[in-house]
Amino acid sequence: MTNSQYETIFQKVVVLLQEYAPQPGPIQDETELINDLGFDSLRVMEMLNDVEDVFDISYPLNSLSDLRTVKDFVTQIQVIIGDR
Amino acid sequence: MGLLDKLNTIAETRKTLLPPGVDPFNVVIDEIYSSTEASIGGRRVILAGTNNYLGLTFDRQCIDAARETLLIEGTGTTGSRMANGTFAGHRELERELAQFYGCSNAIVFSTGFVSNLGVISTLAGPGDVIVLDADSHASIYDACRMSGAEMIRFRHNNVADLDKKMQRLGSRAANTLIIVEGIYSMLGDCAPLADIAALKRRYGAWLLVDEAHSMGVLGERGRGMAEAAGVERDVDFIVGTFSKSLGAIGGYCVSNHPELDLVRYVSRSYVFTASPSPSTIASVRQALRVIQSRPELRTRLWENATRMYQGLEKLGYELGPDLSPVVAVRVPTREKTLFAWKELLDRGVYVNLVFPPAAPAGMSLLRCSISAAHTSEQVDRILQIFAEIQPLITAPEQA
Repeated sequence: MTNSQYETIFQKVVVLLQEYAPQPGPIQDETELINDLGFDSLRVMEMLNDVEDVFDISYPLNSLSDLRTVKDFVTQIQVIIGDR
Repeated sequence: MGLLDKLNTIAETRKTLLPPGVDPFNVVIDEIYSSTEASIGGRRVILAGTNNYLGLTFDRQCIDAARETLLIEGTGTTGSRMANGTFAGHRELERELAQFYGCSNAIVFSTGFVSNLGVISTLAGPGDVIVLDADSHASIYDACRMSGAEMIRFRHNNVADLDKKMQRLGSRAANTLIIVEGIYSMLGDCAPLADIAALKRRYGAWLLVDEAHSMGVLGERGRGMAEAAGVERDVDFIVGTFSKSLGAIGGYCVSNHPELDLVRYVSRSYVFTASPSPSTIASVRQALRVIQSRPELRTRLWENATRMYQGLEKLGYELGPDLSPVVAVRVPTREKTLFAWKELLDRGVYVNLVFPPAAPAGMSLLRCSISAAHTSEQVDRILQIFAEIQPLITAPEQA
């Protein structure tokens, strides 16, 4: 896993977050999905379909409990891609 | 955030959502007159949201069986199936359920919810994979979480997406448990089970079908969607409930895998909860006999469901995609759905009000469930009231 991979995933995640965020705002690594962007569990689930399509991955729902920040999300996706 | 602050948030949401004096999620049935009529808030209403598909809660033979057993065996078992809570009736019911499905094994649980918890969380564990339909019931989601298995969701009823998810698993697909429902409880739509079973065969995976809303409703013998789709041999585990077509409370799992019997030794929801009362078991046993001896109830149920679905369709309501005894009416906004629900109740019809996340894809629903016990006149009356309220809910909202 490299920094450039992280950056590529980050850019794509930002686009998806901006589309689905109930309270859009600036998005950085430490931005929190619930507290800063207004996501609830239902909205996250809606976004996951697109996340899976964009990255051609299956996102395990178990990972949701560890998902707080944008960095968490990008890192999780990076790991799933790496495991493939 | 303090311990109770979370509940304060719910209180605030409730306040903004519900007008004073109306709480559709705490409805009290003051008196119940039959499987299709009751008194709510001092008004006699037609019940059109009770999942009582065959109307057996007031079946004379079921009541007699329950009463007789109540007098002989008492009010409850006061113990778990594993301790003192297995009476001869519990074992007989398991034998009869296995026979009904043509399976070798059956286990009876205390509710449908804990049947899923007990079976799924025991079958799958860390290192295994569960691929479940996105619109699965809460009990399936909770069971999957309890199992510790990796949980992957596929888009509702989307076989292509399931295929994609299975393909990505590679060699792990063969040890994957696919979970779907026969009829989905909220929209009343049916699983494309023949296609799902074909995928299961192709990947060598396992398949569990929750037939809670389809047992007694689908199939020539009322065994559910697996029977209707002709794929019973491909379904490894069927989970069901006694609280819908069978008119009582409790749940079960049947399978041809002899290992199912071992689930009773380790399933926490089997071991650590009291078993169904003897009278409940007696009424369920009788209801199971009724399902087999009176197929005309299913015919009647489908006649009523068709009358209701087509009637609402004709009125222009937006409905769930499939004709089934669960008829979901989609209303554009939460406010209008609540308003329509209250209007229906005030005019004499009880249906279920469903908001997200219980309803899928952010929908707000007036969820109707139809019974074989409804008369044509009752169905027509329900339709008439839906016609009356239609202008009220299609009118533009006032500023």
